[in-house]
Amino acid sequence: MAETEHIGSEAETASGDSAGLVVSCRGVSRTYEEDAVPVHALREVDFDLRAGEWTSLAGPSGSGKSTLLHAIGGLDRPNSGTVVVDGVEVTALSEAQLSDLRLRKIGFVFQSYNLVPVLSAVENVEFIMQLQGVSGSERRQRALTALQSLGLGDLADRRPGEMSGGQQQRVAIARAIVTNPVLLLADEPSANLDTATTKELLELLKRLNAERGITMLTATHDPMVMSYTSRRVQLRDGGIVDDASD
Amino acid sequence: MPLKLLIQLSWRNLWRHRRRNGILLSAIAVAVAGVVLLNSLLRGMQADMENAVIDNLTGHVKVLQPGYREDPSVERSFIADDGWLQQLPPAAIAGWAARVRVPAVAMSERETRGIQLVGVAPEQESISFLGSVSIRGEGLTGAEDRRIIIGAALAEQLETEVGRRLVLVTQGADGRNREAGYRIAGIYRASMGGLEKVFVFTGAEALGDKLDTPAVTEVSVRLQEDAFEDSVVQALKNAFGGLDVLTWRQLEPQAAAIVSFADSAVFIYFLVIMGALVFGLVNTLVTAVMERVRELGMLRALGMRPRSVVGQVVLESSLIMSVGVAAGLLIAFAVFASVSDGIDLTAFSDSLATFGLRPVFVPVIKAGDVVLVAAMSLILGLIASFYPARRAVKLTPLEALRR
Repeated sequence: MAETEHIGSEAETASGDSAGLVVSCRGVSRTYEEDAVPVHALREVDFDLRAGEWTSLAGPSGSGKSTLLHAIGGLDRPNSGTVVVDGVEVTALSEAQLSDLRLRKIGFVFQSYNLVPVLSAVENVEFIMQLQGVSGSERRQRALTALQSLGLGDLADRRPGEMSGGQQQRVAIARAIVTNPVLLLADEPSANLDTATTKELLELLKRLNAERGITMLTATHDPMVMSYTSRRVQLRDGGIVDDASD
Repeated sequence: MPLKLLIQLSWRNLWRHRRRNGILLSAIAVAVAGVVLLNSLLRGMQADMENAVIDNLTGHVKVLQPGYREDPSVERSFIADDGWLQQLPPAAIAGWAARVRVPAVAMSERETRGIQLVGVAPEQESISFLGSVSIRGEGLTGAEDRRIIIGAALAEQLETEVGRRLVLVTQGADGRNREAGYRIAGIYRASMGGLEKVFVFTGAEALGDKLDTPAVTEVSVRLQEDAFEDSVVQALKNAFGGLDVLTWRQLEPQAAAIVSFADSAVFIYFLVIMGALVFGLVNTLVTAVMERVRELGMLRALGMRPRSVVGQVVLESSLIMSVGVAAGLLIAFAVFASVSDGIDLTAFSDSLATFGLRPVFVPVIKAGDVVLVAAMSLILGLIASFYPARRAVKLTPLEALRR
């Protein structure tokens, strides 16, 4: 049995989707306790992301870029404010509903530990579809197509340990896009890659954004990544200090 | 989450840390094999003790006059005509024997000893140890045989031999003493020396003549299977109204308690050995889960539900346990096959005899014990895996990814 959809209708009606917004954050604050000292990771942040945009969240360590990305991805709960993704109010969802949201609406690419080590590349790509309950033959075909479109057709049967870091990240991207998510979130995707591999990866993401219109949000401190995105949002001390588009 | 995916992930994760899981599997296999073999020794011992008690002229069920056990005299005898046998379910009975059994004093030229004088029909005694003893000299030829056979240990004490006469004094039905000389036809050697010192056998009719009674003091019945006990007891009660019908457990409560203890010991050994193993299992699983906490966090971040993560960890430990239990059972069966003819403990035969055990010890594997060990191991493994599984999902996906 597939992981079941539990995202409630009440959460969906709370959307402000009329202007083609994929993400809408209003007054989002997040405070951590670190050694009994409160750390304000996000302070009353308002942030929108339109369909088809590729936006980078940039800033120094502790600026709140990853916290905002995680709040949008339903991996972290803000202390206050609302986050709406594709018409669903993320902040109103239960843990199980958040799992469903991540499974069905969001594609993730992490900095590391992106793939399941005991599964081959094609199995890793199939994994999400298995959770969604896609049938076996369709699953395999879609996974192979996704890998081939990213130039990984020859690596389908290799396990992560048999691939380079760049190849693993590309497989992770194939897994993230194979289900046609409304939003692709990438957290420091180039952190463990050399310059040449980073460039290859960014060209790939650029192509996906341009050809498929995938809405992408990338947290990074890498200027090269920022140079590829069409919109660059700068954060500092938990607040947005600059928002520039091409 | 699809079960197929869960099984696929769990199975492949088992092969990820081959050495560690190999050691864990070996520990489970050795523990399971150990428990099964220990149980088989225990069951063998139990069967030996039970047989020894039943062989010891007790049978599975015995009919006695009320009060005979407290005062075993010929006055507490009864007539056992053939009618009673027809009332018993035929398939239930392996054999029966009607005996006259009275206390007596044996006197030789040199020594005097208290003994039990037992009048038997030799052809009925295949149900007791008398049917399988080795006899030097001659055995009794029939119920009318007036000679006696005595145990080797008693012969040694009385310093007598085959062919010589032994004077036995016992009480007749009229309450008067009967003193008579009996020719020793043979000297028997039993597996337990204690029996040789106590029992002196003669023909049942011959003894009845001497005691002036046509009655018997006991009817002993041996069953085909323990399961027939209740029905046979009831049938005997109907046939011998007013007499005591007692099972071997009632007749020999101490021996029965020791035999029953084996049933509990099977559980005790299991809990001690497997209980110790469970700590190792939990420790290994916690280590394995904590090593993969980031990976599990990633899976949850992608949309795998906590219950699926719990299911994966539980399934992994169940797979380890299942393979370990299967390997353990194979080892146990292989070892059992090599000793199924018996383990020769002749060097310890004297001390074994004290506990009613034979010098060649035959282990017994009971299907119920094997199923119990296998099922309880799997259940223990399942319970043990919930702690690491819970730890795996205690962290949020984000906390897990940050580890």
